[in-house]
Amino acid sequence: MLEGNFWAIKNVRLALIAPLIVATASVTFAPRAEAAGTVAGSTIANTATASYTDSGGNAQTATSNTANLRVDELLDVAVTSADPGDIPTLPSGVNQVASFTVTNTGNGSEAYGLAVTTALGGDQFDPTTTSIVLDTNGNGVYDAGVDTVYVAGSNDPVLAPDASIRVFVLSSIPGTAANGDRGQLSLTAASKTLTGAPGASSAGQGQGGGDAVVGTSGGDGSATGAYVVQAANISFTKTSSVVDPFGGTKIVPGSIVTYTLTATVSGSGSLTNVAIADNIPASTTYEAGTLTLQSAALTDATDADAGVFVPPAGVTPGRIEVALGSVAASQTRIVTFKVKVN
Amino acid sequence: MMRILFFIFLLLSPAYGYAADAIALDSSVFVERVVPTAGGKTKTVLEEPKVVTPGDRLVFILQYRNTGTQSAKDFVVTNPMPAPVAYQSTSDTVAQVSVDGGKTFASLASLKIRESDGTVRAARPEDVTHVRWALREPIAAGAQGQLSFRGVVR
Repeated sequence: MLEGNFWAIKNVRLALIAPLIVATASVTFAPRAEAAGTVAGSTIANTATASYTDSGGNAQTATSNTANLRVDELLDVAVTSADPGDIPTLPSGVNQVASFTVTNTGNGSEAYGLAVTTALGGDQFDPTTTSIVLDTNGNGVYDAGVDTVYVAGSNDPVLAPDASIRVFVLSSIPGTAANGDRGQLSLTAASKTLTGAPGASSAGQGQGGGDAVVGTSGGDGSATGAYVVQAANISFTKTSSVVDPFGGTKIVPGSIVTYTLTATVSGSGSLTNVAIADNIPASTTYEAGTLTLQSAALTDATDADAGVFVPPAGVTPGRIEVALGSVAASQTRIVTFKVKVN
Repeated sequence: MMRILFFIFLLLSPAYGYAADAIALDSSVFVERVVPTAGGKTKTVLEEPKVVTPGDRLVFILQYRNTGTQSAKDFVVTNPMPAPVAYQSTSDTVAQVSVDGGKTFASLASLKIRESDGTVRAARPEDVTHVRWALREPIAAGAQGQLSFRGVVR
């Protein structure tokens, strides 16, 4: 916005009788943001000085008028999803957290209205928005009861240029959502001053008294996140084979029975802390050192490897235990051990 | 008392002193915009700055005029860069720039910047702190001219 553009002739002969008019540099100190640019309301003041030698051989100076420009407010905002990927969830899940980051990419302090859209194409279900929550304590993580629930028009977040805020959207997942279904949601942040076509402006509405001008973002921005139903199930099977002392397959004293335990994870996602335990059958004795996982031998002792043999104690039978840790869907884990029939 | 009034009269009188030789210097600024024209082409126009935002290209124009009756020689114009503006270029061949707050002036290509870690690099347009024009020819009485440079709003 043009503040002043006028001729000013300052003659230096005046300086001979008036106090010396010093030709000053017109450096106006404008607070400057890093990426968003010169802060709205700053003044660009340009003054030039001239020096010359007059006909009498005297050094003279002249100073121009100051051309002043006020920097107007550019309204720009960027919204990004802060989740690394689709958010794993389960049918009928509640308070499922989707995270977004809203950044003021304009050059003035601005308030933003937030809204969530879930009726988006290309997905299998619509999550139901329970609430929008502002990361009041700024730790980037949703803290129930600590972070403030957003109420449109009441606590619209105000961001300084280049500042950003984490926003959490809490959703409920329909009970009908099936394994592998995705449900998208979109968070929109819109400048409270003005949105519209880039270049549209509103006189006097900018920070610092200048105009507010819609930037390339249109003054609003949005980002999409997605929930994905990841229901993993585990199934166990147990088989056995017998070798008797005579090379046959009869169960007689001295026969060796090999048990094979197979754990299979189905669905999608993964299961954590999967463990297998199996009691040694009555009238049999565990054959020391026969425990394997995925065909690799495990020691019987409690040590770094995943397996252990727990000896019988009184009426409690002995048992083998194998910790499988996290097992992803469609993977299997096979454990074997041998016993001798008493 | 009369003497003081006479003194004030001298101050106000345009006839006193500066009719002999005086240089008027006028500073103005315009916004350079690329606008579409018929036929799908674009043209660059200078506009009165109505709305100015970061990234806008500005053209600073200095007009000088010798309003006196005698010529002025050794004419040098110095323009410190306004802080919110990054220098871009000038088409005036006599112009030199400074990147050290006006201590030394040279062509931008020959200037170096010493970084805080001690490394030295070629100066960039945005490093410019002052623009200076030193005219070789005297400015005759009544003569005028124009100097300009481009900048971009930081």
